[in-house]
Amino acid sequence: MTRGTRIPPHRARSRVARFTEAPNPEGPGGPFAGMATYETSVSPGISAPVIETDRLILRGPEGGDFDAFAKFYASERSTMNGGPLDPPQAWRAFATAIGHWTLRGYGMWSLVERSSGALVGRVGLWYPGGWPEPELGWTLYDGFEGRGLAQEAALAARSYAYDMLGLGPLISVIAPDNLRSIALARRLGATHERDWALPSGAPVWIYRHPDPEAT
Amino acid sequence: MMHDPVLSIPVLETERLILRAPASRDFDTLAAFFADETRAWGFGGALNRDEAWRWMASVLGHWALRGYGFWMIADKESDAALGLCGIWNPEGAPEPEIGWVAFAGAEGRGIAYEAAQTARRHAYEVMGMGTLTSNILPGNTRSIALAERMGAHFERTYENRRLGEMLVYRHPGPEAVS
Repeated sequence: MTRGTRIPPHRARSRVARFTEAPNPEGPGGPFAGMATYETSVSPGISAPVIETDRLILRGPEGGDFDAFAKFYASERSTMNGGPLDPPQAWRAFATAIGHWTLRGYGMWSLVERSSGALVGRVGLWYPGGWPEPELGWTLYDGFEGRGLAQEAALAARSYAYDMLGLGPLISVIAPDNLRSIALARRLGATHERDWALPSGAPVWIYRHPDPEAT
Repeated sequence: MMHDPVLSIPVLETERLILRAPASRDFDTLAAFFADETRAWGFGGALNRDEAWRWMASVLGHWALRGYGFWMIADKESDAALGLCGIWNPEGAPEPEIGWVAFAGAEGRGIAYEAAQTARRHAYEVMGMGTLTSNILPGNTRSIALAERMGAHFERTYENRRLGEMLVYRHPGPEAVS
Protein backbone atom coordinates (compact mmCIF):
# COMPACT_ATOMS: atom_id res chain seq x y z
CA MET A 1 0.00 0.00 0.00
CA THR A 2 2.86 2.38 0.62
CA ARG A 3 5.32 3.68 -1.89
CA GLY A 4 8.74 5.19 -1.64
CA THR A 5 9.89 3.01 1.24
CA ARG A 6 13.27 4.11 2.47
CA ILE A 7 13.49 2.13 5.68
CA PRO A 8 12.70 -1.59 5.72
CA PRO A 9 9.36 -1.99 7.49
CA HIS A 10 10.73 -4.35 10.14
CA ARG A 11 13.40 -1.84 11.06
CA ALA A 12 11.04 1.06 11.03
CA ARG A 13 8.57 -0.81 13.16
CA SER A 14 11.13 -1.67 15.79
CA ARG A 15 11.63 2.02 16.37
CA VAL A 16 8.09 2.63 17.43
CA ALA A 17 6.80 -0.63 18.84
CA ARG A 18 7.67 -1.12 22.48
CA PHE A 19 7.22 -4.39 24.25
CA THR A 20 7.19 -4.18 27.98
CA GLU A 21 7.53 -7.10 30.29
CA ALA A 22 5.23 -6.72 33.23
CA PRO A 23 6.17 -8.28 36.55
CA ASN A 24 4.47 -11.48 37.49
CA PRO A 25 2.74 -10.80 40.80
CA GLU A 26 0.74 -14.01 40.82
CA GLY A 27 2.99 -16.60 39.30
CA PRO A 28 2.59 -20.34 39.26
CA GLY A 29 1.86 -21.56 42.75
CA GLY A 30 -0.01 -18.38 43.61
CA PRO A 31 -3.73 -18.08 44.04
CA PHE A 32 -4.30 -19.47 40.57
CA ALA A 33 -2.51 -22.74 41.25
CA GLY A 34 -4.50 -25.62 39.92
CA MET A 35 -6.78 -23.35 38.00
CA ALA A 36 -4.83 -20.83 36.03
CA THR A 37 -1.42 -19.29 36.08
CA TYR A 38 -0.77 -15.63 35.57
CA GLU A 39 2.09 -15.63 33.18
CA THR A 40 4.54 -12.89 32.46
CA SER A 41 2.74 -10.62 30.12
CA VAL A 42 4.24 -9.39 26.92
CA SER A 43 2.23 -6.33 26.14
CA PRO A 44 1.70 -4.62 22.85
CA GLY A 45 2.64 -1.19 24.09
CA ILE A 46 1.59 2.07 22.68
CA SER A 47 4.80 3.93 22.41
CA ALA A 48 4.21 7.14 20.59
CA PRO A 49 7.40 9.09 20.05
CA VAL A 50 7.44 12.63 21.34
CA ILE A 51 8.17 15.21 18.67
CA GLU A 52 8.89 18.84 19.44
CA THR A 53 8.41 21.71 17.04
CA ASP A 54 8.80 25.45 17.56
CA ARG A 55 5.49 25.86 19.30
CA LEU A 56 4.17 22.34 19.84
CA ILE A 57 4.80 19.02 21.47
CA LEU A 58 3.38 16.01 19.66
CA ARG A 59 2.83 13.17 22.12
CA GLY A 60 0.73 10.03 22.29
CA PRO A 61 -2.89 10.23 23.42
CA GLU A 62 -3.48 10.07 27.16
CA GLY A 63 -6.61 9.44 29.17
CA GLY A 64 -6.73 13.07 30.24
CA ASP A 65 -7.08 14.11 26.59
CA PHE A 66 -10.53 12.60 26.33
CA ASP A 67 -12.51 15.63 27.51
CA ALA A 68 -11.11 17.87 24.78
CA PHE A 69 -11.62 15.10 22.23
CA ALA A 70 -15.25 14.62 23.32
CA LYS A 71 -15.88 18.35 23.31
CA PHE A 72 -14.66 18.64 19.75
CA TYR A 73 -16.74 15.66 18.63
CA ALA A 74 -19.83 17.07 20.34
CA SER A 75 -19.54 20.21 18.21
CA GLU A 76 -20.79 20.85 14.72
CA ARG A 77 -17.21 21.44 13.66
CA SER A 78 -16.68 17.68 13.81
CA THR A 79 -19.13 17.07 10.96
CA MET A 80 -16.25 16.93 8.50
CA ASN A 81 -14.34 14.52 10.76
CA GLY A 82 -16.97 11.81 11.20
CA GLY A 83 -18.94 13.60 13.94
CA PRO A 84 -20.83 14.70 15.79
CA LEU A 85 -20.51 11.94 18.36
CA ASP A 86 -22.15 11.64 21.77
CA PRO A 87 -19.84 10.89 24.72
CA PRO A 88 -20.14 7.08 24.53
CA GLN A 89 -19.44 7.16 20.79
CA ALA A 90 -16.59 9.60 21.31
CA TRP A 91 -15.08 7.38 24.00
CA ARG A 92 -15.07 4.41 21.64
CA ALA A 93 -13.52 6.53 18.91
CA PHE A 94 -10.87 7.73 21.34
CA ALA A 95 -10.17 4.15 22.42
CA THR A 96 -9.91 3.16 18.75
CA ALA A 97 -7.37 5.91 18.15
CA ILE A 98 -5.26 4.57 21.02
CA GLY A 99 -5.52 0.98 19.77
CA HIS A 100 -4.51 2.20 16.32
CA TRP A 101 -1.05 2.91 17.75
CA THR A 102 -0.82 -0.66 18.97
CA LEU A 103 -2.06 -2.29 15.79
CA ARG A 104 -0.20 -0.08 13.31
CA GLY A 105 2.78 1.19 15.28
CA TYR A 106 1.75 4.76 14.54
CA GLY A 107 -1.30 6.93 14.94
CA MET A 108 -2.63 10.34 15.85
CA TRP A 109 -0.61 12.45 18.27
CA SER A 110 -2.11 14.89 20.74
CA LEU A 111 -0.82 18.42 20.21
CA VAL A 112 0.24 20.39 23.26
CA GLU A 113 1.13 24.05 22.96
CA ARG A 114 4.54 24.47 24.57
CA SER A 115 3.97 27.96 25.93
CA SER A 116 0.64 27.27 27.61
CA GLY A 117 0.40 23.49 27.98
CA ALA A 118 -2.97 23.70 26.24
CA LEU A 119 -4.27 20.76 24.23
CA VAL A 120 -4.78 22.30 20.80
CA GLY A 121 -5.73 19.36 18.60
CA ARG A 122 -4.58 16.16 16.97
CA VAL A 123 -2.32 15.45 14.04
CA GLY A 124 -0.88 12.21 12.77
CA LEU A 125 -1.07 9.08 10.73
CA TRP A 126 -4.37 7.33 10.34
CA TYR A 127 -4.83 3.96 8.68
CA PRO A 128 -7.84 2.10 10.05
CA GLY A 129 -9.45 -0.88 8.34
CA GLY A 130 -11.06 0.13 5.07
CA TRP A 131 -8.70 3.04 4.42
CA PRO A 132 -6.89 2.87 1.08
CA GLU A 133 -3.49 3.66 2.60
CA PRO A 134 -1.98 5.63 5.49
CA GLU A 135 -3.28 9.16 5.76
CA LEU A 136 -1.83 12.34 7.21
CA GLY A 137 -4.67 13.88 9.20
CA TRP A 138 -5.12 16.99 11.33
CA THR A 139 -7.72 18.56 13.57
CA LEU A 140 -7.46 21.73 15.60
CA TYR A 141 -9.75 22.31 18.55
CA ASP A 142 -11.84 25.44 18.93
CA GLY A 143 -9.86 28.63 19.40
CA PHE A 144 -6.55 27.35 18.05
CA GLU A 145 -7.12 27.78 14.35
CA GLY A 146 -5.57 30.46 12.19
CA ARG A 147 -2.08 30.38 13.68
CA GLY A 148 -0.46 27.75 11.47
CA LEU A 149 -0.33 25.17 14.26
CA ALA A 150 -1.83 22.38 12.15
CA GLN A 151 0.70 23.05 9.42
CA GLU A 152 3.58 23.04 11.88
CA ALA A 153 2.44 19.72 13.37
CA ALA A 154 1.57 18.15 10.01
CA LEU A 155 5.01 18.91 8.64
CA ALA A 156 6.62 17.26 11.66
CA ALA A 157 4.34 14.24 11.43
CA ARG A 158 4.94 13.89 7.70
CA SER A 159 8.69 14.04 8.17
CA TYR A 160 8.45 11.40 10.87
CA ALA A 161 6.38 9.17 8.60
CA TYR A 162 8.82 9.54 5.73
CA ASP A 163 12.11 9.46 7.62
CA MET A 164 11.38 7.10 10.50
CA LEU A 165 8.60 4.85 9.26
CA GLY A 166 9.49 4.67 5.59
CA LEU A 167 5.95 5.60 4.63
CA GLY A 168 4.98 7.81 1.80
CA PRO A 169 4.02 9.63 -0.21
CA LEU A 170 1.06 10.02 2.11
CA ILE A 171 -2.50 10.91 1.29
CA SER A 172 -4.93 13.15 3.11
CA VAL A 173 -8.63 12.31 3.03
CA ILE A 174 -10.67 15.50 3.09
CA ALA A 175 -14.38 16.31 2.85
CA PRO A 176 -15.01 18.41 -0.27
CA ASP A 177 -16.52 21.22 1.81
CA ASN A 178 -13.66 21.34 4.30
CA LEU A 179 -12.07 24.40 2.76
CA ARG A 180 -9.63 25.02 5.59
CA SER A 181 -8.22 21.51 5.33
CA ILE A 182 -8.01 21.74 1.56
CA ALA A 183 -6.10 25.01 1.89
CA LEU A 184 -3.71 23.41 4.35
CA ALA A 185 -3.21 20.37 2.12
CA ARG A 186 -2.25 22.71 -0.70
CA ARG A 187 0.14 24.66 1.52
CA LEU A 188 1.76 21.32 2.36
CA GLY A 189 2.28 20.72 -1.35
CA ALA A 190 -0.44 18.09 -1.71
CA THR A 191 -2.62 17.94 -4.80
CA HIS A 192 -6.04 16.48 -5.49
CA GLU A 193 -5.55 12.98 -6.84
CA ARG A 194 -8.97 11.36 -6.95
CA ASP A 195 -12.39 11.12 -5.40
CA TRP A 196 -13.21 8.43 -2.90
CA ALA A 197 -16.08 7.46 -0.63
CA LEU A 198 -15.59 6.72 3.04
CA PRO A 199 -16.75 3.31 4.27
CA SER A 200 -19.79 5.25 5.54
CA GLY A 201 -20.51 6.31 1.96
CA ALA A 202 -19.63 9.98 2.40
CA PRO A 203 -17.80 11.41 -0.62
CA VAL A 204 -14.29 12.67 0.06
CA TRP A 205 -11.30 13.89 -1.89
CA ILE A 206 -7.92 12.24 -1.70
CA TYR A 207 -5.00 14.62 -1.74
CA ARG A 208 -1.52 13.26 -2.45
CA HIS A 209 1.46 14.70 -0.63
CA PRO A 210 4.82 15.18 -2.31
CA ASP A 211 7.26 12.28 -2.51
CA PRO A 212 9.55 11.89 0.49
CA GLU A 213 12.47 12.88 -1.75
CA ALA A 214 10.79 16.17 -2.56
CA THR A 215 10.13 17.27 1.02
CA MET B 1 -11.18 7.52 36.15
CA MET B 2 -8.77 7.06 33.34
CA HIS B 3 -5.32 5.60 33.19
CA ASP B 4 -2.55 6.74 30.98
CA PRO B 5 -2.51 4.54 27.94
CA VAL B 6 0.32 2.24 28.76
CA LEU B 7 -0.87 -1.14 27.73
CA SER B 8 -0.20 -3.98 30.06
CA ILE B 9 -2.43 -6.87 29.21
CA PRO B 10 -1.85 -9.91 31.39
CA VAL B 11 -1.76 -13.36 29.89
CA LEU B 12 -3.91 -15.87 31.75
CA GLU B 13 -3.52 -19.58 31.27
CA THR B 14 -6.15 -22.18 31.98
CA GLU B 15 -6.22 -25.90 31.42
CA ARG B 16 -7.02 -25.60 27.73
CA LEU B 17 -6.82 -21.90 26.98
CA ILE B 18 -4.69 -18.80 26.89
CA LEU B 19 -6.35 -15.46 27.50
CA ARG B 20 -4.15 -12.88 25.81
CA ALA B 21 -4.23 -9.51 24.09
CA PRO B 22 -6.11 -9.38 20.79
CA ALA B 23 -3.59 -9.17 17.98
CA SER B 24 -3.58 -8.44 14.27
CA ARG B 25 -3.33 -12.16 13.49
CA ASP B 26 -6.78 -12.64 15.07
CA PHE B 27 -8.45 -10.10 12.85
CA ASP B 28 -9.81 -12.35 10.10
CA THR B 29 -11.42 -14.63 12.68
CA LEU B 30 -12.86 -11.66 14.52
CA ALA B 31 -14.18 -10.07 11.34
CA ALA B 32 -15.83 -13.35 10.32
CA PHE B 33 -17.52 -13.54 13.71
CA PHE B 34 -18.86 -9.99 13.50
CA ALA B 35 -20.00 -10.49 9.90
CA ASP B 36 -22.47 -13.14 11.04
CA GLU B 37 -25.50 -11.48 12.63
CA THR B 38 -26.83 -14.82 13.84
CA ARG B 39 -23.75 -15.12 16.04
CA ALA B 40 -22.92 -11.48 16.77
CA TRP B 41 -26.39 -10.26 17.76
CA GLY B 42 -25.84 -11.16 21.40
CA PHE B 43 -22.45 -9.45 21.44
CA GLY B 44 -23.37 -5.95 20.33
CA GLY B 45 -24.55 -6.81 16.84
CA ALA B 46 -23.03 -7.43 13.45
CA LEU B 47 -20.17 -5.25 12.19
CA ASN B 48 -18.71 -5.02 8.74
CA ARG B 49 -14.99 -5.62 8.32
CA ASP B 50 -14.03 -1.96 8.68
CA GLU B 51 -16.14 -1.56 11.79
CA ALA B 52 -14.65 -4.76 13.19
CA TRP B 53 -11.15 -3.31 12.77
CA ARG B 54 -12.12 -0.23 14.74
CA TRP B 55 -13.78 -2.39 17.38
CA MET B 56 -10.61 -4.42 17.80
CA ALA B 57 -8.57 -1.26 18.13
CA SER B 58 -11.06 0.05 20.68
CA VAL B 59 -10.54 -3.07 22.78
CA LEU B 60 -6.85 -2.25 23.03
CA GLY B 61 -7.72 1.36 23.83
CA HIS B 62 -10.16 0.15 26.48
CA TRP B 63 -7.30 -1.71 28.16
CA ALA B 64 -5.19 1.43 28.01
CA LEU B 65 -7.89 3.70 29.41
CA ARG B 66 -9.43 1.38 32.03
CA GLY B 67 -6.64 -1.03 32.85
CA TYR B 68 -8.83 -3.96 31.87
CA GLY B 69 -10.74 -5.15 28.85
CA PHE B 70 -11.43 -8.09 26.59
CA TRP B 71 -8.93 -10.85 26.15
CA MET B 72 -8.77 -13.02 23.10
CA ILE B 73 -9.50 -16.60 24.13
CA ALA B 74 -6.90 -18.63 22.30
CA ASP B 75 -6.34 -22.35 22.04
CA LYS B 76 -3.40 -23.28 24.23
CA GLU B 77 -1.91 -25.59 21.63
CA SER B 78 -2.59 -23.83 18.35
CA ASP B 79 -3.07 -20.19 19.48
CA ALA B 80 -6.22 -20.13 17.32
CA ALA B 81 -8.71 -17.47 18.37
CA LEU B 82 -11.72 -19.20 19.90
CA GLY B 83 -13.65 -16.30 21.38
CA LEU B 84 -13.58 -13.23 23.55
CA CYS B 85 -13.86 -12.82 27.27
CA GLY B 86 -13.12 -10.00 29.65
CA ILE B 87 -14.22 -7.00 31.63
CA TRP B 88 -15.96 -4.26 29.67
CA ASN B 89 -16.86 -0.80 30.86
CA PRO B 90 -16.93 1.79 28.10
CA GLU B 91 -18.23 5.31 28.62
CA GLY B 92 -21.96 5.16 29.25
CA ALA B 93 -21.99 1.64 30.72
CA PRO B 94 -23.60 1.32 34.16
CA GLU B 95 -20.67 -0.55 35.72
CA PRO B 96 -17.98 -3.05 34.73
CA GLU B 97 -19.39 -6.26 33.31
CA ILE B 98 -17.84 -9.57 32.43
CA GLY B 99 -18.63 -10.55 28.87
CA TRP B 100 -17.92 -13.60 26.76
CA VAL B 101 -18.54 -15.11 23.38
CA ALA B 102 -17.33 -18.26 21.66
CA PHE B 103 -16.72 -18.10 17.93
CA ALA B 104 -18.19 -20.58 15.44
CA GLY B 105 -16.85 -24.05 15.99
CA ALA B 106 -15.73 -23.31 19.54
CA GLU B 107 -19.10 -23.67 21.24
CA GLY B 108 -20.29 -26.59 23.28
CA ARG B 109 -16.91 -27.36 24.83
CA GLY B 110 -17.15 -25.20 27.92
CA ILE B 111 -14.59 -22.77 26.59
CA ALA B 112 -16.50 -19.61 27.46
CA TYR B 113 -17.13 -20.98 30.96
CA GLU B 114 -13.49 -21.84 31.48
CA ALA B 115 -12.38 -18.42 30.26
CA ALA B 116 -15.02 -16.50 32.19
CA GLN B 117 -14.24 -18.25 35.47
CA THR B 118 -10.58 -17.30 35.08
CA ALA B 119 -11.33 -13.74 33.99
CA ARG B 120 -13.71 -13.23 36.93
CA ARG B 121 -11.20 -14.59 39.40
CA HIS B 122 -8.49 -12.36 37.94
CA ALA B 123 -10.79 -9.35 38.14
CA TYR B 124 -11.47 -10.00 41.80
CA GLU B 125 -8.10 -11.18 43.01
CA VAL B 126 -5.64 -9.21 40.92
CA MET B 127 -7.58 -6.22 39.64
CA GLY B 128 -9.35 -5.76 42.96
CA MET B 129 -12.87 -5.44 41.65
CA GLY B 130 -15.57 -5.83 44.27
CA THR B 131 -18.50 -6.92 42.16
CA LEU B 132 -19.29 -7.80 38.55
CA THR B 133 -22.35 -7.93 36.36
CA SER B 134 -23.11 -9.44 32.98
CA ASN B 135 -25.50 -7.59 30.70
CA ILE B 136 -27.36 -10.04 28.50
CA LEU B 137 -29.93 -9.50 25.79
CA PRO B 138 -33.30 -11.16 26.46
CA GLY B 139 -33.43 -14.40 24.51
CA ASN B 140 -29.71 -15.07 24.65
CA THR B 141 -30.37 -18.35 26.37
CA ARG B 142 -26.83 -19.68 26.06
CA SER B 143 -25.39 -16.66 27.82
CA ILE B 144 -28.06 -16.73 30.50
CA ALA B 145 -27.32 -20.41 31.09
CA LEU B 146 -23.61 -19.64 31.40
CA ALA B 147 -24.23 -16.73 33.79
CA GLU B 148 -26.36 -18.98 35.97
CA ARG B 149 -23.77 -21.73 35.83
CA MET B 150 -21.32 -19.17 37.19
CA GLY B 151 -23.65 -18.45 40.07
CA ALA B 152 -24.91 -15.11 38.76
CA HIS B 153 -28.55 -14.19 39.28
CA PHE B 154 -30.93 -11.86 37.51
CA GLU B 155 -30.99 -8.50 39.25
CA ARG B 156 -32.78 -5.98 37.05
CA THR B 157 -33.12 -4.73 33.53
CA TYR B 158 -31.50 -1.64 32.11
CA GLU B 159 -31.87 0.27 28.90
CA ASN B 160 -28.77 0.06 26.73
CA ARG B 161 -29.01 3.10 24.48
CA ARG B 162 -27.90 1.17 21.44
CA LEU B 163 -29.17 -2.36 22.07
CA GLY B 164 -32.35 -1.73 24.03
CA GLU B 165 -33.42 -3.55 27.16
CA MET B 166 -30.81 -5.82 28.67
CA LEU B 167 -30.88 -8.20 31.61
CA VAL B 168 -28.38 -7.42 34.33
CA TYR B 169 -27.03 -10.55 36.00
CA ARG B 170 -25.08 -10.06 39.24
CA HIS B 171 -22.18 -12.37 39.89
CA PRO B 172 -21.20 -13.72 43.28
CA GLY B 173 -18.65 -11.43 44.92
CA PRO B 174 -14.96 -12.03 45.51
CA GLU B 175 -15.51 -13.76 48.85
CA ALA B 176 -17.87 -16.29 47.29
CA VAL B 177 -15.62 -17.38 44.44
CA SER B 178 -12.16 -17.34 46.01
